[in-house]
Amino acid sequence: MELFTPDFGLIFWMFVCFGILFLILWKYAWPMIIKGMETRADLIDKGVEYAQNAKEQLDNAHLEAGKITAEARKQQAEILREADKMKNQIVEEARGEAQKAAQKVMDQANEAIRQQQKEAEQALRDQVSEFALQIANKVVKQQLADDKAQAKLVSSLLDEMDQKN
Amino acid sequence: MAALAAPFRAAANEAGKSDDPKDHAKEIIFEHLGDAYGWEVPFDHHHRIPLPCIVLPKEGGVCVFSSARVQHGEYMCDKGMFKIATEAEAEQYHVRAGKLVQVIEGPDGSVEYYRPWWFDFSITKNVAALIISCLLVGGLMLWLARWHRRKGLKAPRKGLGAIEALVDFIYKGVIVSTLGENAKRFAPYLLTAFFFIFGMNLLGLVVIFPGGANLTGNIAVTLVMAVLTFAVTNIFGTKEYWKEIFWPDVPLFLKFPLPIMPVIEVFGMFTKPAALTVRLMANMMGGHMIVIVLTLLIFIFYYMSPVAGGATTVVSVIFSVFMLLIDVLVSFIQAYVFTMLSTIFISLAQVKEHHAAPAAECDPADADCQQMSAEELERMRRTQRVHEQELHAARKEALKKKGETAN
Repeated sequence: MELFTPDFGLIFWMFVCFGILFLILWKYAWPMIIKGMETRADLIDKGVEYAQNAKEQLDNAHLEAGKITAEARKQQAEILREADKMKNQIVEEARGEAQKAAQKVMDQANEAIRQQQKEAEQALRDQVSEFALQIANKVVKQQLADDKAQAKLVSSLLDEMDQKN
Repeated sequence: MAALAAPFRAAANEAGKSDDPKDHAKEIIFEHLGDAYGWEVPFDHHHRIPLPCIVLPKEGGVCVFSSARVQHGEYMCDKGMFKIATEAEAEQYHVRAGKLVQVIEGPDGSVEYYRPWWFDFSITKNVAALIISCLLVGGLMLWLARWHRRKGLKAPRKGLGAIEALVDFIYKGVIVSTLGENAKRFAPYLLTAFFFIFGMNLLGLVVIFPGGANLTGNIAVTLVMAVLTFAVTNIFGTKEYWKEIFWPDVPLFLKFPLPIMPVIEVFGMFTKPAALTVRLMANMMGGHMIVIVLTLLIFIFYYMSPVAGGATTVVSVIFSVFMLLIDVLVSFIQAYVFTMLSTIFISLAQVKEHHAAPAAECDPADADCQQMSAEELERMRRTQRVHEQELHAARKEALKKKGETAN
């Protein structure tokens, strides 16, 4: 069978050609090609990963921003409520204070009036007792003279008192 | 077809035989499948592209001459007389027909046809096709490598992109996925083998000059490729691989007094490259043969009747085109299969020592087994530690990145 008998010449040239081709490609082609392809594949992988991360971060940022806004709104409402409460409290306090002050002023006035009244009563009492003493004094003096005079004196004194009053 | 018709007439005229193409069919088929000392030119059977013949005559030294000089007769060089043996002469002098021989005439008039196995180093059609394939494959790959050197990370487009996709397909899909960490070591040989075979296959399908040689359908070529795979497999085989061949893990009676398993294993070492050789050769030769036979059918039927010939022409052309298209596919598949099997054979010779069965299957009395499993456990722990460290590092990295983005 001619087809199944290898020619030595062809085997020889095959070894030579394949050997040369292999050495050349081994030295100058395959390492560069494989390295180039792998580097590029890595770069693409990294790019995709980076993009995914970026997208994730962007989504996160949106979410975060929303959260922060909501938080701020809540805080704002709280602050407003607090301020309102404080205002009411201040007004209430002021009102209480004013009432207290007014009460005090009134109390003082009352006290003064009572004092004056007391003083006036005292003065009246003093005067009445003085008059009484004077009358008594005059009565005693008249008694010593006569009865008519005494009576006259008493009535005149009483007139005097009437006039005074 | 006119090109094919010519040889019939020529052969018929030369030999004075019948004009019936059936008588020459076998001759023509084998001529196209085999090697030749010149390259046919389409539409011209009398002229061939001459190729250099290199022979080592009996007296020593080298004779180099053009194949055109021996195409129609003998050529006398200073070291002897050479000719291409015809079939009749081949039978008479026990040499191969259609091959160059040195004709040595003894002083007593006896004639000897001299052709030992180391005689012929001619650049035949097949050798020329081989060189062309090498230049083509080498040129394309150097072009691609130059792109990678010059353009850096830019991806090539169009033709170069297709070549790169093919390189990537073979490298990632076959070599890395099978050999794993050893891929870099064997990739140059396997990639070269793939593209070399693929290039030769495709060139063989081109009908005119730079193609047409039935190169991968020649057993010498496939034999060399298989021998190279065999050499790579066994030279780089691990100790464990050799142990599995000569002292496999089987019951003792299978390997001790009679080395049954080792014999089978050693036999297996040689059947693998033999299968590689025959598979590639038979597939590619079959493709060429079918197309030639289909074409010859036209002439055979024309000889019988023009009507039958006309009908056969249509059918044959359709089938030939179909077969050639299939052959394009087969060219790729065979190159792929050769590379894949080579990769698998190489990876089978890269076996690492495998460890004993897991602890659960250990016999408590078997101290050796337990020790092995302890070793296994230690190894697993070590791997786990490494994994944890990696995880830790990755987490750290992630945290750092997070910190950077936060800043």
